[in-house]
Amino acid sequence: MNATTPSVQPGTVPGSQRSLFTLAAVLAAVGVAAFVTGLLGPQPQRAWQAFFINFLLWSAIAQGAVLFAALTHTVKARWAGPLSGLSQAFAGFFPLSLICFLALLIGRDHLFPWLHEDLHGKEIWLNIPFLFSRDGIGFLALYGFGWAFLSQDLKLRIKTTAPAGGLRRWMAGRLPQTEAEIERVRRRKTLWGGLYCFAFALVLSLIGFDLVMSMDPHWISTLFGAYHFVKAFYVGLGALIILAAIVHLHQNRRTAIADAHFHDIGKLFFAFCLLWADFFYVQLTVIWYGNIPEETSYVILRTVTPPWSTLAWIVFIVCFIIPFIVLINRRVKTMPGAMIALCGMVILGIWLEHLLLLGPALNHAAAELPLGVTDGLVFIGFMGLMVLTLTYTFKTFPELLPPGSEAAR
Amino acid sequence: MPGDACIMGLFKDEAKAARVIPELAAAGFSFRRAHSPIPSHRILEALKLKKGRVGWFTLAGGIVGFFLGFALAIFTAVQWNLIVSGKPIVSLIPFFIVGFEFTILFSVFGNVIGLLVCSRLPDYRGLESYDPRCSGEHFGVLASCEAGREGELMDFFQKKGAEVKVFA
Repeated sequence: MNATTPSVQPGTVPGSQRSLFTLAAVLAAVGVAAFVTGLLGPQPQRAWQAFFINFLLWSAIAQGAVLFAALTHTVKARWAGPLSGLSQAFAGFFPLSLICFLALLIGRDHLFPWLHEDLHGKEIWLNIPFLFSRDGIGFLALYGFGWAFLSQDLKLRIKTTAPAGGLRRWMAGRLPQTEAEIERVRRRKTLWGGLYCFAFALVLSLIGFDLVMSMDPHWISTLFGAYHFVKAFYVGLGALIILAAIVHLHQNRRTAIADAHFHDIGKLFFAFCLLWADFFYVQLTVIWYGNIPEETSYVILRTVTPPWSTLAWIVFIVCFIIPFIVLINRRVKTMPGAMIALCGMVILGIWLEHLLLLGPALNHAAAELPLGVTDGLVFIGFMGLMVLTLTYTFKTFPELLPPGSEAAR
Repeated sequence: MPGDACIMGLFKDEAKAARVIPELAAAGFSFRRAHSPIPSHRILEALKLKKGRVGWFTLAGGIVGFFLGFALAIFTAVQWNLIVSGKPIVSLIPFFIVGFEFTILFSVFGNVIGLLVCSRLPDYRGLESYDPRCSGEHFGVLASCEAGREGELMDFFQKKGAEVKVFA
């Protein structure tokens, strides 16, 4: 087997892959059980809140991680190398994300406080049929571009003529044969990648406005959409680093992922840590200067008033202060173990940040943080679903793994 | 060592120049310096230099700048004591912008100062044992040997494909 051929054959299910699959399925089942138990309990709105927050977080992770491959390909950044395939594997979560989005319809009465408010003319924009139609179309477009980008990339990667599984067989029947066909696939890949980047900014801005900012329907921040998609790329990069580090460590550092790759993506992660904090600060400054009660009340409630103020400081320290200080160091970016811990911490921080943004609107006059065991279990459930989709994607398309890697074993 | 002879091997090929650097010590010669017309990662790796201390100067500059920016903004605001739009005289949220800008500015200052200090610049004595071709198309590797071994060192360089220049 040469160095550029993935050692996992499509369709085969090696032992450790099967155990990972089982573990992920158990985690997902735990999450589903916790959610259902919460729905049947005395506070179904808390279960929906946990579902909603985790849907936003894990969808953002998948969307942001895929953006890395689309962006580096579109701007012809060759340094991404083996990270590109890993990043595209996150597209496997897209169908689940879409299903979860549609499931929000069921819990709409618990999730959208503006349903029971006088919106002073905003009803034209904030109504359930229009919101779900436009956001659904947005998700379909974004995920469609992502899948199209991935399929063109796979056409260039797949070499084996031994198809296994329906999806792979379908793909194998469409592989380019001549140089002209290969060139056409490359051009299409660039087109879909560019469209994905464009759609990412537009759709995630829309989602930020519709599903997060609208929870306080009288509060407006024009930068909120940009803040939302920058955050998605930030956590997406974090998840990609974790995946790359796990694959690298699992293979005793013998993959094609070099220190330089970890260093480069670590720098990008550092940059987006700064950008996330910058976008937060830019919004804060404008609101602070304007000093309009409709705007300041949103910030005061979340940063000064208990119990949210403690959470606000935790989010700020975990998502900015600690990563900023740690990532100044060059060497730490090349240490997979340390980066797993740091990126995991940031993802947890952004999970709490979603609670900070949505919690006060969903829990009026809360005396204590609405955070319990159910929230944690639903988080674990979504993590299990993410691992399941990644494992399935790598099993079907092992070409996405770094050359020489046997991570799926 | 005083009395040692200095000889430069001039290579047209970057890889050959990089390869010869570790081989000098094995052959019993002392490596002095390398000259490259371009920033060369290969030569840099062959030199096995310790990590520079310039980054610490940059960090120190940044930290000083951050607090200096805040101090300047507070100092100027206090001089006038004008209340604008009902805001406090000392308002940390907007002063952060000045603090941030000063962080960047003083990081750059620290970086340049660190570069000068660590490179021991300016050096008005000029470079001894230098060949202008190293600013053109050649990579120069300067080495020294004890008096009497000049021929061996010249042979060593020539066998590696270099032109040789002997300095007095």
